[in-house]
Amino acid sequence: MQGPIVELSDVSISFAGVKALEGVDFACHAGTTHAILGENGAGKSTLIKTISGVLKPDTGSIAVNGREVRFAGPAEAADAGIVCMFQELSLIPDLSVADNISLQRPPRHMGLIDRRAQIARAEALLARVRCEDVDPRAMVRDLSLSRRQMVEVAKALGRDPKVLILDEATSALTQKDVETIYGLLDELRADGVCSLFISHRMHEVEALCDRLSVFRNGRHVETFGKGERSDAEIVRLMIGRDVTAKFPPKPAPKEREPVIRLEELRWENRLNGVSLSLGKGEILGIGGLDGQGQKELLLALFGVLKGVEGKVTVGEGDGLAASPHAAKTGRNRIALIPEDRKTEGLMLSLSIADNIVAAALDKVSGRGVLDQARLDAAIAEGMERLQIKAGSTEDAVKTLSGGNQQKVVLAKWLMIAPDVILMNDPTRGIDVGTKQEIFRMMRALADEGKSILFYSSDYAELIGCSDRVIVLYDGRVVSELTGEAITEEAIVAASLNIQGEMA
Amino acid sequence: MTALTRIRPADRPILIAFGFTILILLIGTAYTLSTTGTVPLLQPSYLMQQLQIGSFLGLCAAGMMLVILTGHIDLSVPWTLTSAAMVATAIGGPWAIPAGLSVGLCVGLVNGFGVSVLRVPAMIFTLGLDTVLRGLMVARTGGFAPQDQATPAMLYLAKAKLLGVPVALFVWIAVSVLVTFLLARTTFGRSLYAIGTKERAAWLSGIRTRAVVTGAFVGSGLCAALAGVLLAGYSAKAYQGMGNSFLLPAIAAVVLGGTHILGGRGRYIGTFMGVVLIVLLNSVLSIMQMPEALRQIIYGTVIIGMLLIYGRGTRISE
Repeated sequence: MQGPIVELSDVSISFAGVKALEGVDFACHAGTTHAILGENGAGKSTLIKTISGVLKPDTGSIAVNGREVRFAGPAEAADAGIVCMFQELSLIPDLSVADNISLQRPPRHMGLIDRRAQIARAEALLARVRCEDVDPRAMVRDLSLSRRQMVEVAKALGRDPKVLILDEATSALTQKDVETIYGLLDELRADGVCSLFISHRMHEVEALCDRLSVFRNGRHVETFGKGERSDAEIVRLMIGRDVTAKFPPKPAPKEREPVIRLEELRWENRLNGVSLSLGKGEILGIGGLDGQGQKELLLALFGVLKGVEGKVTVGEGDGLAASPHAAKTGRNRIALIPEDRKTEGLMLSLSIADNIVAAALDKVSGRGVLDQARLDAAIAEGMERLQIKAGSTEDAVKTLSGGNQQKVVLAKWLMIAPDVILMNDPTRGIDVGTKQEIFRMMRALADEGKSILFYSSDYAELIGCSDRVIVLYDGRVVSELTGEAITEEAIVAASLNIQGEMA
Repeated sequence: MTALTRIRPADRPILIAFGFTILILLIGTAYTLSTTGTVPLLQPSYLMQQLQIGSFLGLCAAGMMLVILTGHIDLSVPWTLTSAAMVATAIGGPWAIPAGLSVGLCVGLVNGFGVSVLRVPAMIFTLGLDTVLRGLMVARTGGFAPQDQATPAMLYLAKAKLLGVPVALFVWIAVSVLVTFLLARTTFGRSLYAIGTKERAAWLSGIRTRAVVTGAFVGSGLCAALAGVLLAGYSAKAYQGMGNSFLLPAIAAVVLGGTHILGGRGRYIGTFMGVVLIVLLNSVLSIMQMPEALRQIIYGTVIIGMLLIYGRGTRISE
C-alpha cells in the first residue's frame, strides 16, 4: 500500500483547559472509505476540523502526501484537496444554487462572474449527484433540507477533492439520496479519493467503509479493517473502561406517583411521539446520541417551543407551560439547566450574585422593590449550599471555572424551590470533582421529593445516576431500562437502534 | 498605578468623563481669562443656567439609557418630544402635562410591542415610528408652528426658580433619583441588565423579557415627553423640529457615561456625567466663538475620541 494521504502525528488540541484531542496519531489512505466512530464528545468533530484547517493543533503535526503542512484556514486545506462537508450546512440561503456551488472559485469572464458557465457547471455537478430536478437558478432558501444537503455534496465535489470528509452527511437525506451517496462514494474510491465518513448509523458504516477508526475521550483507540471486529466489540471500544466517577447509592426501584405524563408528544420533525412518565422523587435519565430529540423534549417541557402537540399532564393540570416564566411559576415549578451554560444558563459578564438571583427576583423583593437583607441571605445560601468557590460574589461569573459556573446555574434554579428539574447535559466540560458534587446534589434533591429529568451524553452518568433510563432515537423512545437492566451495552445498542442484531 | 487598579472597571468611564468635564472647564476658563479677563464659566449662576438647558437633554438621556441597557435603542425621541409638546400646548389647561406624558406612554407601548413582540429591530421600528409621528404632527399643524401657548404650569416647571435653583433642574434630579432607584433597587432594573447581557439566558431564567423591554421603551417615551413638555414651557410654545437636536447627544451622553452600547452594563451616574460633559463642551465652544462648522467637528471628534479610550480599556481588561 502506498503512503497515507493524510497523516497526523501526536496531535493535541485543548479548549479552555479541556483536552479535545490528546496525542492522536491517525492516517488515512487514498482510495479508501474510512469511518470514524466514537461517542459524543470523543473528538471526532475536532479531528475533522483539524484535518480541514478550521482548527490548528496545539502540538503535533499534519502531513499531506508525506509533506508537513500548516493550514492557515479551510481555504488552504481545500487547495490541498481536503474538502469537508460540515454537519451544519454551509450554504448561503439567499444565493442561488449555482452561486453557492461555485462560491469559492466562480468561473470568470473578463473579471466578472460568467453566469452561463457557472450554471452549466452547477448542472453538471448536480447531475453527478442525481439531482437533475434541482434548478441551479433556484434560491437555496427555497429548497428542502434534503435537497440542500445534496447541493452541499455537489459543492464539495466541485472542489475536486482528494480527501472528502462527510460529517453526518446522510442525517437529513431520503433513502434514495442515501443510495446516491453510496454510489458516489464507490465512484470516488475507484478514482483514488479518500473519504472520511462520520456517521452514527452502524449499518451505513458497515455497508460503505473499508476501514474504521474508533475514538474515545479525545484519543485514537484503534483502527482496523472492515469485518475484523464484531458490533459488540466496536461498542466496547467506543465505551472504554476509563470512566470511573463515583456515584451516590440509588434507592431500590419502587412505584412512584407520576408528576409529569407525556403521551405522543410531537414537535416539527424532531419529536415524533414521545411518551413517558416522570415520578415524584425520581431521576429519569434520557440517553441516545446527540440530536435525537432530547434537547427538544426538555425545551418543550420548559415552555420554550411553540406548536408542540400531544397530551401532557403536569401534576394536576393539563398542558405545557406557555413560556419559561409560566413554567417556573406554575403549580409545579419547573427549572431547566440548559445545554450551553455560557449562552443560555448564565449572563457571563454579570456578577455571581446577579446570576444567582436572576430566576428568583420575585422571592427577594416586595412589590418589585428588592429587599437587600433577603437578597444577601439568598445569595449567601446559594453560595453555601452549592459550595461555590469564588473570591467575591460581585465578581463576574465568567471569571469562575466551568464547574463553579455550572454550580451558579444550579444555585439559581434551586432558589425557586423547583418540583421538577430538567437537566441538559449538566456535567459537560466540568471537572470530575464537581461532577461528583453535582451527582450527590441530584440524589439529595430526588430524596427531597423533587423529580429530575436528566439528559447526558455520557452513558456512565446515566447508569450511575438514574433510577430509570429511556433512550431516544429519531424523536421517539426506543427503549426503557430499569434497575439492573441499565447497562452500557444496552444503552449504546438502543442508541444505535441495533438491539435486535446485538442480542 | 495602585490607585488606578483599585478603581472598579465600571467606574472608570465615569471618572474619565468627570476628569474631561474639569478639563473643558479649565480650557474654557483659560480662554476667557486670556481674552476678557473674566471667569464666567466658574460662576454659579452661569453653571445653573447651563444645567437648566442641560436638563432637557438629561431627561432624554435618562430614558434612552433604560432602552440601551436592554441592548436596544430608541430613535423616536425627537418626534416623541415634539409630539408631546404639541399635544400638551394644544390641550392646554390643567390636562396639558398629563396629555403630553400620555403621548410618551403610547409611543413607548407601541415601540415596546414592535421590538419585543413583533421582533422588528429597534433601530428600524423606532425610526419608522419617529417618521409616523412627524407625519401626524405635520398633518395637524399644516407644517407651521402651532399658535398654542404653553400653560402656566409648564412655564413654571421650565423657567421658574426655587430657592435660586431652576425648577427644571429639580425635575431632572427627581427623574435621576427615580432612575437610579429603578436600576439599583428593583426587579425591573435587574431584569434590564440581565436582558442586555444575554437576552436568551434571561428569558430561560423565566424573566418576562417582553414586558421588561416594553417597560424600558415606555420609560424612554415618558422621559422624552417630559422633556418636550418642559422645552415647550421654556420656549413658551411648541415648534416643528424642537426635538431634532436631542437624539445624538442623548445617545452620546449615555455611552460617554460608560453604558455599553450593546446593553447590560452601565450606571446612571455615568449618564448624568455624560450629559454635563456634553452641555459644557457645547457652551465652552460657543463662548470661544468657534464657527458653527468647526464646533460640529470638534464636538463629534471628542465623542469618538472618548469612546476609543473606553473601548481600549475594556478590551485590555477582558
